[in-house]
Amino acid sequence: MTDCEQIRESLGTWLDGELGRFEAEAVRSHVEKCPHCGEEKRQLERLQVALRSVLEVEASRMAFAPFWNGVQCRIAAKRSWFEDLSDWLSSALTPPRLAWAVPAVIALVLGVWSLDSFFYSGRSGAQRNNFASVDSIDTYGRNVALLREDETKTTVIWLYQNQEGENESSGDTDEKRPSF
Amino acid sequence: MELSDWELVRKCQAGEMSAFEELVARYQQKVRIVILGVLRDREDAAEVAQETFFRAFRKIKSFQGDSSFYTWVYRIAVNVAIDWQRRKKRNPLEFRDTMDAILEERHEVAKDPYADVHDKELRERLATAIEELTPEHKAVIVLRTIEGLSYKDIGGILGCSEGTVMSRLHYARKKLQDKLRAFL
Repeated sequence: MTDCEQIRESLGTWLDGELGRFEAEAVRSHVEKCPHCGEEKRQLERLQVALRSVLEVEASRMAFAPFWNGVQCRIAAKRSWFEDLSDWLSSALTPPRLAWAVPAVIALVLGVWSLDSFFYSGRSGAQRNNFASVDSIDTYGRNVALLREDETKTTVIWLYQNQEGENESSGDTDEKRPSF
Repeated sequence: MELSDWELVRKCQAGEMSAFEELVARYQQKVRIVILGVLRDREDAAEVAQETFFRAFRKIKSFQGDSSFYTWVYRIAVNVAIDWQRRKKRNPLEFRDTMDAILEERHEVAKDPYADVHDKELRERLATAIEELTPEHKAVIVLRTIEGLSYKDIGGILGCSEGTVMSRLHYARKKLQDKLRAFL
C-alpha cells in the first residue's frame, strides 16, 4: 500500500477529528504537500457539505403537540401479546445474534438427540458412540460453525459473513483500521 | 431551574408523566431527524419516532443511567428504524419524490435552502446513493453528519466498537464518493 493510499484511508477519520495527534499531523503535512490527496480531501469536504444539506430537514416545523398525542395514544393503547412478542423478537434476534442462534439451535437439537440415543442404547445394551461438536472461526468477518454427529454421520457446516463483507470482527478489538 | 435529563428520568421512573413529556419535548426533533436519515420518509419517520418514545417509556424503569439519556433513546430509535426499513422496503423513486418535497418545502421557509448544494443533480444523485446504503451505514452517516457525534458515542448507540464505526463510515463515504465523483 502506498503512502497516498494509507493517507486516503485515514482522511475521513482525520476530518472527523478522530485521529491521534501524531497520526493527524502526518496526514495534515502529507495533504498539504500532495495535490492528489489534497483533491481527495476537498472532495470529502464537499461530500460532507452536500450530505448535511440533503439530510438536514426542517426540524423547526415539526409541531410537538400532535407528536406527543401520538406517543400518549400508544402508551394508552393495550397491545396484544403477539405484538409484544414480535417487538421482543425483532430486538432480540438481530443479524449477528441470529447467525449464532441458528447453529446453536442445531447443536442443541443434535445434542439432545444424541443424549436420547445414548440413554436408549444404554438400556438396550447396544454400543453407541454419539456426539455433536461445534467449532468456529471468526476472522475478517467470516465465520464457520461446524456440527458433527457420528451416529448418523451428519455434518452441518454453517458459513456466514458479517455485514456485507465489512470487517465486523474489529468490533471485538477496537482496532482503528478500516478494512476496505 | 431546568432539570437535567437524569433528574427527569428519575421522576419518570417514579411515575411522573409530565417528566417524560419534557424528555420527549427535548429530544423528539433530533430523534426524528436521525430516523428520517435512515428511513427517508417523513410519515414513516414520525411513526417510528412515536414508537421509539413509546418503547423508551416502557423500558425507562430499567434505565440505570449507564449512558446518557439521548444515547439510550438514539439506540432505541436506530434499532426501530433499521427494523422498520427491513420490513418495509421502499421504492427509491418514491424516496426521491419525498426528498424533493422536503427540500421544496424548505425552500419556502428558508431563504437560502440550497446554500450548501448548488447542483440539483448532485442532490438527486446523492439522495439516490444514500438510499443504496444499508440501514447500518445510513445510521453512521446520519449520526456523524447531522448530530456530529463522536465515534465512541455512535458505537454506544449502535452497539459496536469505534473501529467498526470508523470502518462503516469509511465504506459509506467511499461508496458515496465513487458514485458522485464527477459532481464533487
